[in-house]
Amino acid sequence: MRGMDEYHNGNEGSFSSEEADSVVKECIESVVGGDDYSQSQVNKWTASIVERCLTQLIKQGKPYKYIVTCAVMQKTGAGLHTANSCYWDTAVDGSCTVRWENRTMYCVVSVFAVAIA
Amino acid sequence: MSDLLKDKSQRREKRAGKAPSEGSHGVRGKDTTGRTKDSISTVSCLDELGHQDDNARMAVTMENTYQLGPYKRFPVPAVTDILKDVLTSYLQEEKYEVEWSQKMTKTISEVIRARVKDLMIPRYKIVVLVHIGELAGQSMQISSRCLWDASNDTFVSYNFKNSSLFGVANVYAVYFE
Repeated sequence: MRGMDEYHNGNEGSFSSEEADSVVKECIESVVGGDDYSQSQVNKWTASIVERCLTQLIKQGKPYKYIVTCAVMQKTGAGLHTANSCYWDTAVDGSCTVRWENRTMYCVVSVFAVAIA
Repeated sequence: MSDLLKDKSQRREKRAGKAPSEGSHGVRGKDTTGRTKDSISTVSCLDELGHQDDNARMAVTMENTYQLGPYKRFPVPAVTDILKDVLTSYLQEEKYEVEWSQKMTKTISEVIRARVKDLMIPRYKIVVLVHIGELAGQSMQISSRCLWDASNDTFVSYNFKNSSLFGVANVYAVYFE
């Protein structure tokens, strides 16, 4: 009975940014960890990063709908700015953004989690 | 090494019930020749304002409405027009500059969110994502995947380009049961 109470309480907290953060970093590293930017592969990369993040997040089993966005940009000295604005219930919904880079590219992944009911 | 990525703090205002939430991240355009480094991951810090009313907020129990789906669906064409309108009016004749773009990204996302809210579509939560970047012959790919209820939830996207910059705006609408 005690175990069940804890499980229930754990689920009704707000979105855990740190946990999502580590999940996302791991997904990015596993997909593009050692690679250089390649126009032919970038499509595949963004798709796998996003799908992998989504499946890992679902495995946490929390009652959330997820939106995962990934932007991969080649490093040429150009600048990029990203902003987000959300209208939701701040008690239970949350987001997390991870910026990652290597020698030849930038990768920005944003996760938005919207609570169900 | 870290002057390439400027850390932005993500500010969240907590108010009772629904509240707006904003965040932004930027990458400064700087020369990277001569650097040999491996992958780096960074995370922006999170500042949360308005913590004091946390204790005052009681758990809200909702009564059953017996409503199976949304009465008013999310109007995709109207929102596409909003995106087109906002992006063109703010970015039409502008040239890419670092400080200006930073502010503009935040402003545009707030304006879009306010205008979508004005459409007064009940029970929909909104997420607006805006990217503004410099056109410098680089290649870029933005993609997103969503786990949601495909019959009720949707998204709208619009891109804008002029001679020196590009702007991409995405609006995701999630139905709250």
